[in-house]
Amino acid sequence: MSAAVTLRPEAKKKAAMSRASKDSVIDVQHLVKVYGGRGQEEIKAVNDVSFSVGEGEFFGFLGPNGAGKTTVIRIITTLLAKTSGSVHVAGLDVERDGLDIRRMIGYTGQSIGVDGELTGRENLWLIGRLYHMPNSLVDERVEELLEVLQLKDAADRRAYTYSGGMRRRLDLGAGLVHHPRVLFLDEPTTGLDPQTRAAVWEYLRRLHREEKMTIFLTTQYMEEADQLCQRIAIIDLGKIVAEGSPAELKAAIGADIITVRITRDEAFEQSRNRALEIARTVSGVSRASIFDEGVSAYTADGGATLLEVLRRLDAEKVPVHQVALAHPTLDEVFLQHTGRQMRVEEVKPMSRSFGRRRR
Amino acid sequence: MVTDVGHAQRVIIGTRDEESSGGVLTEVGLVTWRSLVKLTRTPVLLFFSLFMPLIWLVMFSQTFGTVFSSATSGGLPGGPAATPLPYDYVAVLLPGITVMTAIQSASQSGFGMVADLESGFMDKFFVAPIRRSSVLAGKLLADGLRMAAQAGIILGIAAILTLFGWRIPFATGVMGAVLIMLLAAAFGVAAAAFGVAFSGLSNTVALRTKNTESTMMVSFSLTFPLLFLSTAMLPKALLPAWVQSFSTVNPVSYMADAARALILTGFDWAAIGNAFVAIAAFGIVLNGLAIMAFRAQGK
Ligand SMILES: Nc1ncnc2c1ncn2[C@@H]1O[C@H](COP(=O)(O)OP(=O)(O)OP(=O)(O)O)[C@@H](O)[C@H]1O
Ligand SMILES: [Mg+2]
Repeated sequence: MSAAVTLRPEAKKKAAMSRASKDSVIDVQHLVKVYGGRGQEEIKAVNDVSFSVGEGEFFGFLGPNGAGKTTVIRIITTLLAKTSGSVHVAGLDVERDGLDIRRMIGYTGQSIGVDGELTGRENLWLIGRLYHMPNSLVDERVEELLEVLQLKDAADRRAYTYSGGMRRRLDLGAGLVHHPRVLFLDEPTTGLDPQTRAAVWEYLRRLHREEKMTIFLTTQYMEEADQLCQRIAIIDLGKIVAEGSPAELKAAIGADIITVRITRDEAFEQSRNRALEIARTVSGVSRASIFDEGVSAYTADGGATLLEVLRRLDAEKVPVHQVALAHPTLDEVFLQHTGRQMRVEEVKPMSRSFGRRRR
Repeated sequence: MVTDVGHAQRVIIGTRDEESSGGVLTEVGLVTWRSLVKLTRTPVLLFFSLFMPLIWLVMFSQTFGTVFSSATSGGLPGGPAATPLPYDYVAVLLPGITVMTAIQSASQSGFGMVADLESGFMDKFFVAPIRRSSVLAGKLLADGLRMAAQAGIILGIAAILTLFGWRIPFATGVMGAVLIMLLAAAFGVAAAAFGVAFSGLSNTVALRTKNTESTMMVSFSLTFPLLFLSTAMLPKALLPAWVQSFSTVNPVSYMADAARALILTGFDWAAIGNAFVAIAAFGIVLNGLAIMAFRAQGK
């Protein structure tokens, strides 16, 4: 689908006039958002963020709680006013052309916005009609979505009787009724069990592959970004700290990573500093850094270097609690760029995320 | 999925074609539909917003009915005939009860919207290609329909009571009842718009909840003074002098006078006109205040 199909003539003119680059669907330059002010405490939630997303791209925003993901996505979807910077979708300005932008985008927010008093079918129908789709087309599309999202059996039950996963899927469907050209998803799989998550992933891949949809997704899960996104921006404390394809980001780190976790005792700080010094002097280690539980070292030849590191640590009586050798994951990318581990529980199975309070 | 891409194009064409005023009506209608469906599926809410006013209607007319009749046994002070009135106190009280019901429903309106904002449902409306004013209009239209229906139910129950010997003239019949429902709805919508503006304009959850709670408190503590310092409970001639003066600047009085005339005497177009002007002024002042409060507090 080319841009010309979706834009009305005057919108096209506006697009031509804007400074946005030609092939990017989403173009964000020097975006700043400050909450509060006027007597309230000011919070700089987004601090000079720039990036762009091409037509048909699957792009991910990866960052921990409070990084600014939701703020950015709400500004692009015209739900929130920016403080400064420029934001364009398909060449249209978020402040001037909100209505035209909203016509071509779909959005599924972080909190599940389905109406519990309406049935699943009614929820989807209402959204479709809000996009001025003809009735017959809405009906057809709603059936199709209920089928794909496996909500057919529950379609005529009120949504408050749905499980969390069913509600998530219904909410996702609501963002898709009108076949948006660009889809925005704010943490679409948080709170889902592993099977449902896998099913949602599969469906998103299909939308991207078969309908050539441009998808912008935010997530706290390394694995999710790695699995789905062609390009990732890592955001922390309102700033983009790294950007690239998952492979590029991982390649930038090095071949192998040795992680040494130090025993938590009174001398933890000293032990960790000692371990860092040791790691830096071992030949074969290209770079070493500390993280909250210990030290990580990057090396071209993990096996040999690991042995040497352990020998030295043992000789100096540094209390080692655990050692691991891994190929880099996005975890390490995050760690490398922020000096913190993203979320400890994410390394473990997803079931940990059950019952997490959603905002 | 070739068919899907086909859909997408048809959708877009559909969007372009319907950019007329018909589009706006559809938008408003959908928002209204959703509010009304929600309301009919939570009948408890409807029941309780009628329950209190009906209790009032019965209690007050019983307790003060005799006092009212003896006070007016020689006709209303300053009135023409020195004959007993041909109606009971309940006929006098009826307009006040419809106002009271409208105020109660209006104070709930802000809460509904805050719940939608917090659940994220409101985002569905805001991210759709519709105007925000359509969302507001749709919501207020649903509120208005609800208040009109409530006034209708109260009048209907009063009509049933006439079968048991209660003397309510209903001088203008069904047409008059419809006008009273309209008045109650207009008054209620003006108040609801205030509640919605006051609680919805803030962008933080805490402030919204705080504002909604204060709207509730304010409406609760203002309901009684507004009702009693107006002609809603008693005809003007029976009120003490200072209450009489206050009642002339109280919008509730104009609404009550028009409704009372419709029940007791006939179509008093001057009173009805005054009532709508008073309601409009009331709405403008209240919503101006809400916007000022919003500006002062920043975005
Ligand atoms: N309405 C608001 N008023 C004031 N501060 C806010 C508001 N919304 C968000 N913030 C602050 O802005 C920062 C970024 O929040 P944001 O919701 O964008 O983060 P996020 O990356 O989406 O986090 P999460 O993973 O928890 O959803 C946080 O420090 C948050 O406290
Ligand atoms: Mg968020």
